[in-house]
Amino acid sequence: MHLLNGKSVSYSPLAGKKAKEYYLKIMNSKQTKQSLTFLRGVQEGFPICVGYFPTAMAFGLVCRDVNLKIWEALLFSVTNFAGSGQFLAINLLASGSLLFEIFVGVLLVNLRYAFMGAALSSKLESGIHGIKRLMLAHGTTDEVFSVAVLHNGLLSYAYMMGLELVSYLGWVSGTVMGFLVGMILPNELQLAVGVTLYAMFSSLFAQELRQKGILVLFIASISALLNSFLVVVVSMGTGWAFVVSMLTASIFGALITPEMEELS
Amino acid sequence: MHDIPTFVYILSTALATFAVRVLPYYATFLNRLPKFIAKCLRLLPIAALGPLIFPGVITDFLPQWYAGLAGICASFLCAYLKGGMIFPILLSVLVTYLALLF
Repeated sequence: MHLLNGKSVSYSPLAGKKAKEYYLKIMNSKQTKQSLTFLRGVQEGFPICVGYFPTAMAFGLVCRDVNLKIWEALLFSVTNFAGSGQFLAINLLASGSLLFEIFVGVLLVNLRYAFMGAALSSKLESGIHGIKRLMLAHGTTDEVFSVAVLHNGLLSYAYMMGLELVSYLGWVSGTVMGFLVGMILPNELQLAVGVTLYAMFSSLFAQELRQKGILVLFIASISALLNSFLVVVVSMGTGWAFVVSMLTASIFGALITPEMEELS
Repeated sequence: MHDIPTFVYILSTALATFAVRVLPYYATFLNRLPKFIAKCLRLLPIAALGPLIFPGVITDFLPQWYAGLAGICASFLCAYLKGGMIFPILLSVLVTYLALLF
């Protein structure tokens, strides 16, 4: 979920040319010109599900590593359904950050969903209210957004439910699978497994760098250096140091990025 | 690790996430934010990656500070060259494990 994308940070199964071709093929098929049904949503969501599964497995592994119980890992993915937000939360949780610090950090990282939701809600067919609307909102992710906005017409509730549900199942089932895999790891590897979380972020970073170029390296370096300074030298709390570093680097990045398109 | 039960933390982050997701379905001002603010918000996830890795990857493994560093270098290179997440992470665990032996 574009972690940190728009996803900005993307474990995106939609990132490559092949994926783009896949969706363009679907969009241009006869079926697409028919109504957007639940089945159609499932069909288009399946690649997202496949992409989410290993990423969610990584999250499940990390949960096991920081001594969460399996039901807590499951609760995380069921109630949050947000890659970057969850990775951030588990990181701050493991480092002993305060509840409010974690809340603010997650809120900031997930703010992009508000903009995706703004675009999606304006494309929804009329008559979707109450619990249906809330459920669709909960399923907003970078990939779901990327696929849904490709359609020119109004989006039906059935289609969106199919798209979001299959993506959701990939995320939740992957989390459980990752946790279970973590349980059978040999004891000797337990200490080394402590690197899992960082390895996941560096993998995400590599993907971002490959997709979006040197600016990603620049922005992430500023925030990394600033955070290291605040934590090690100033002894600031990890949660606040994270928030300050992230905001500073993103403002700096925005100042030196002439056009938004450069990152898209 | 905390006095507050872990599930409270989980539900709090869920609330934060749900709030930003639901907001645009009931409010429309988000479509009219200044361009600069929108740009900053879009860069936030990238800016988050740096502090998510440093300095933790070094301090968590002290005194063998190089172990985690070697691990993430492996996962970075693997992900950059081959893509994916699971294999880079497993490779990283292996490299860190070997580095800790020295």
